[in-house]
Formats: sequence, C-alpha cells, structure tokens
Amino acid sequence: MECLMGLVGKDFVITVTDTMAIRSITVLKHDEDKTRELNPHTLISYCGEAGDTTNFAEYVQKNVKLYGIRNNIELTPGATANFVRRELADSLRTRSAYQVNLLVSGYDHKKGPCLYWIDHLSALAQVPFAAHGYCAYYCISLMDRHYHPDISLDEAMGLIRQCLEELHRRFIINMPRFVAKVVDKDGIRVIDL
Amino acid sequence: MLSEIVAQYTSEPTGYGAELTPGNFLARDAAKQFDSLSFDLPNAENPIDFLNTYTDVKSDNDNLIKLAHGTTTLAFKYAGGVVVAVDSRATQGSVIASQSVKKVIEINPYLLGTMAGGAADCFFWERELGRRCRLYELRNKERISVAAASKLLANMVYSYKGMGLSMGTMVSGWDKTGPNLFYVDNDGTRLKGNLFSVGSGATFAYGVLDTGYDHEMNKADAIDLGKRSIYHATHRDAYSGGYVRIYHINKEGWEFISLTDVDELHWQYADESRNRGA
Amino acid sequence: MHVRPSTHPTSQAKEAAFSPYEDHGGTNLAIAGPDYCLLASDTRQSNGYNINTRFAPKTFKLSNKSVLATAGCQPDCAMVTTRVKQSMLTYKHNHNKEMSTSAIAQMLSIMLYQRRFFPYYDFNILGGLDEDGKGCVYSYDAVGSYERVPCSAFGSASALIQPFLDNQVRNKNQLGKPKVTEFEPVTPLPLAEALRICKDSFTSATERDIYTGDYLQIFIITREGVEEQIHELKKD
Repeated sequence: MECLMGLVGKDFVITVTDTMAIRSITVLKHDEDKTRELNPHTLISYCGEAGDTTNFAEYVQKNVKLYGIRNNIELTPGATANFVRRELADSLRTRSAYQVNLLVSGYDHKKGPCLYWIDHLSALAQVPFAAHGYCAYYCISLMDRHYHPDISLDEAMGLIRQCLEELHRRFIINMPRFVAKVVDKDGIRVIDL
Repeated sequence: MLSEIVAQYTSEPTGYGAELTPGNFLARDAAKQFDSLSFDLPNAENPIDFLNTYTDVKSDNDNLIKLAHGTTTLAFKYAGGVVVAVDSRATQGSVIASQSVKKVIEINPYLLGTMAGGAADCFFWERELGRRCRLYELRNKERISVAAASKLLANMVYSYKGMGLSMGTMVSGWDKTGPNLFYVDNDGTRLKGNLFSVGSGATFAYGVLDTGYDHEMNKADAIDLGKRSIYHATHRDAYSGGYVRIYHINKEGWEFISLTDVDELHWQYADESRNRGA
Repeated sequence: MHVRPSTHPTSQAKEAAFSPYEDHGGTNLAIAGPDYCLLASDTRQSNGYNINTRFAPKTFKLSNKSVLATAGCQPDCAMVTTRVKQSMLTYKHNHNKEMSTSAIAQMLSIMLYQRRFFPYYDFNILGGLDEDGKGCVYSYDAVGSYERVPCSAFGSASALIQPFLDNQVRNKNQLGKPKVTEFEPVTPLPLAEALRICKDSFTSATERDIYTGDYLQIFIITREGVEEQIHELKKD
C-alpha cells in the first residue's frame, strides 16, 4: 500500500514517500515521515511491516551515526547501503526477521549522487531510479520512458509530478500527500512538490 | 580497591540470587530483580500456534479461553491541552464481562495511558511502564517525557511482536515541550499525532470527532466532543458501552472530568435534538 | 521451560495431540458486603456428559481474610492455588505479616500474566476483607486482567447467575430502588439477604446447568474469620 520512489539526477538524488500511517482500514496519520537521516549525506526511506520499519530504520540510523562519531569520518552511501543490507540479511536468518523495503539515497563526494534499492529479502541493487510497493507498477514505466542520466532537478521534479498524477488517476488508494527530499553536495533538504 | 567499592553498589539482577549480606543490604537495588521479565512458554513445537489455537485472539472457536476485550478510546490535542475519552465495557466472546472497566491508566500525575485490545495485556504493560517511568524519575531526578515513555512501551511490546499480544494504546501527557500524544500498538508502531481513536468502535468515533474537531475550541466544547464521540461509538459498536470516562490534561497535569452512563447521555442528547427541532 | 527440539521425525504428527486443557465445569459466586464477603461454589466436577465426582471443592481458604474461588481446568486451578499459597507463605516469612487481600489480588494478576503465552485455563474470584474491614471481591480473566467488583459469578452457570445478581444485588434496572452503581466496591445487602440470594442462585442454576449441582460450599469471611458451610444441591 505504501509508496517509495527515488531518482538519481545529474548532481542530486530525490526520494519521494507517501505520508500515511495505516492500521487495518484506518489511516491513523496523514503526515508520517517515512525517512531517516543516517548522516549528513545519506537518507534512508522505508516501507513495510508496521513496527519493523521504524525500528529497523532507527537501528541502522543510530549505528551509522555511531560510526561517524567513533571514526570521525562518515560512511559513504555505498558502504551504508551494504551495511544496511547485511543487517537485514542477518535478521532474515533469525525467527524474527524485519520485513522492510528500503531505498538508500546519498551523495558521495567522490562518486556523486547514488541510489540503492533494497527489498525485504535484502537484495541490493544500485539503480538510477527505483520504486517500492504498488506504485512501482505505475511509476517505473514512466521513469523508463522519460529518465536520462543528465536529468536536471526541475526536469526530475516534473517527472516525479507526472508519476504522482498517474497514481492519483489510476491507483485505487488515495494518497493525498507526499514528501520529496533531495540529497546533494549540500546535504539533505525537503523540496516542494 | 575500586572494584570492591563497585561490587558493593552492584547487585545481581536475579531475585533469589542476590546476596543479602549485611554489608550490601542497603546498597542493593531492589528494582533490579524485576529488570528481566520472563514468561512461561508451552512445550509445543510452535508456541505461537498453540496460543492461537486455545485463546480467542485470532479465531472464533467456542472451546476457548476467552480473554477480556473490546473498546472505544480516543484522545486529541487542542489549544487548551489534551482530552482523553474512553468507554468502560469489556467483553469475553459475546458476553459482557464488565461495564465498569477503567480504561485510562494513570501512569503518574502528568501521564495517562489508554487501553484497547486485550485487557490483561494493556493492564500489565502499562503498569510495567508506570514502574519504569518512576524508576526513570528516581534515577534522573526529573520526569520522563511523553516521547520517552511511549518509546519505552513501544520497545517493550515490540520485543514480543508476533507472540499474540493485543494492545492499542495512547500515551498522553504534559512535559517540558507541552502537550504530547503518542499512539502505540502491539505491532511496535509508535506515532506522534494530534488526534487518535483506537478500538473496535474507533471508526464510529473518528466520524464524529474529525467532523466536530477544531483546534481552537474551548475546554467545555472539547470535553463535550470527546464525550459525544464515545457515545456515538457505543451506540453503533456492540463491543463498546457502559460509561464514558473523560480526562483532561493541561500544564498542571491530568484532571479527571467525568464519568457518565451512556444511557443517560442517550436521553440527554435525544432531548437536545428534540428541543432543537421544536 | 524450553521448546522441545524438533529432531524426531514424528514430532510434527504428535503436535496435534498437545492439548493440555479440559473444562471441568462448576460455578462460583461472590458478594462483597459492608463488613463481610461471601464466596460460594458448587462441588460437582464433570467432563463432558460424565460426572467425575460430586465433591471436588474448588474454593480455598488462603488466610483469615481471604478466600480464592477457581473454575475451569482443575489441574490449572490447583496449580494456581498452590502457587498463591506458597507465595503467601514466603511473604509471611519475609515480612512477618499476612498478605493483604489487595496485595494477593495484584500478585495473582502477575502470576496469571506470567503465563500469557501458555495460559492457565482458570477463571478466578478472590474474595476477602480489605484494609478497612470492608468486603472485597476481585474477578479475573485467564491471563490476569482483574477488577474489584461488588459481586461476581464465574464458571459454567455464570450466564444464568450474573444477570440475576445484577438485578437483585445491584438493583439494576429496578426503578424506585436505590441504585448500586458499577463503581461501588461493596453492596449494602445484609449478610442474611446475601446468603439467601446466593442459595437461590445455585438452586436455580442447578435446575438449568448440567455442570452445576451436588453440594454448595459457602465461605463467609468476617472480622471473626472464615466460616465454611456445606449445603445440599440436587444430584441429578
């Protein structure tokens, strides 16, 4: 039911998440933030089993922050994604596995912007754009159609808006509000949709 | 030398194992023996399946151990603080086990918890939360924040995720940051918000509550809105009923407002709408 | 306790046979008065359509101030009673005083919740006198949710007796009679009246419930201590 999207541009990454917290047939909250900042240039967005999501996200967030404090150097987005994947993979081999889908978006000062897609079975892939949940069925093709590696921020926002319009048009679930966050060389910021 | 001093002020976290020699008796931390909770598990291949077979959490089998259930609870923040309103019915299967349940748990003078779902689960864990909040206060010389208290509760029940606990609660109170309201349930979900309703009658309560809600309303209107929302939920949800219990929270802490028979409310509201029509 | 390792090839097949619960029937009733508490239970123990025995008491004196009535699966009831008694003894040795009824009530709740994931099939009523000498009745579900009530009926005939108690003891829906609200801890009934209602409840329940009958065991707790009475019920 939930919706996560990500897209790598020329010198930035955008992630878009829906903002609903649902239990059974009731929307408990309309402004839930489904992202966590891992360090100044890495953002994780998540969806999946209630409870597991925030617990896992905050668990890796605290550990990535701890790494930064201990070593006085932040993990790169790539290293972070691999750390997150491994934590998820290890939990899969226990009785109580986290059922979480994730996107790790970051800005690497050497390699530039990057996006990692991780599913609940801890498969990891570095991708130019990605989506989790039902919205993937509607949005991935749109991104295939319009994406190019040198996409500018304005163009990318246009594409994201097209994706959300399509969701509003065709998807049965009403998702009134989304939050978009941009990661670039200056850090993480919220951007108006 | 140092290790001796440390040992003197440290105790084992076990009840019977703690050595009560005259030297360390006063230094013993009595609270520590309760630090680790333990529960007996059935000697079955899959304890969780066992539980689901014999208790009525997930199935409708007749020959079951019926646990007390059912509720409508709500809480919302507004300009004047927080209003907490609950019904008072507990059901075991289709039998009304009680019409006088106290579904608001007074954790301390500034913190309230509501209970929906399994009565014993809510009772036990919110009592445990109260104990941990008190310990926090003793250790840190200041009251626990609502955010921290709700997180303690969420973490406690999250560690039993999938074991069949049933609990939907709202932790509300006033702390350094002002009024606060959190939703915590047995999935381990913990949400900060302005308005929540939990339980089998929650959808009915939401209808009235969302429509009548205004952040800037006065205290009397807020209390009346809470009362009405619960009343309408008890009217349509068979698992809810009994009495409407209202609490109000402001910077002085919580205050008990009223306890009203739903039947009384029914006729009172009926009279009001009749007078309006005349 | 621990989980059995699943190495044996037939362990899956045996699993279905792990059924440790049985309903042994029987009914309990309790009424709290201004200066007394009354607990009553029948003594029939049955198993489906078979009557195991006509005299199997399931209500036990814990101290001079408190009595525990149990209903459900007999071994579970016995286990709970034993553990409560043991803990009360330990408490007495540690603190050199008898446990108060309210303390026993909270302890019993925790004891039942300890088995949240493997519940005792046991529905308890704890009756006694509180710190002020007033009667008190605590009623429980199987995993330790409890409440202080003015009167309570539990067990196989509870659906027959509880509405009768609500009407006669709490004056529910009786216009003109003083209302005993849900939240009053005791009923204003004199002991003789409570006894009469109690006996009527059981003779009537015996007529309509196959799991209730044989003998009626009544415990009356007053400042003087616990008095036990046995009365006959129909044995068909």
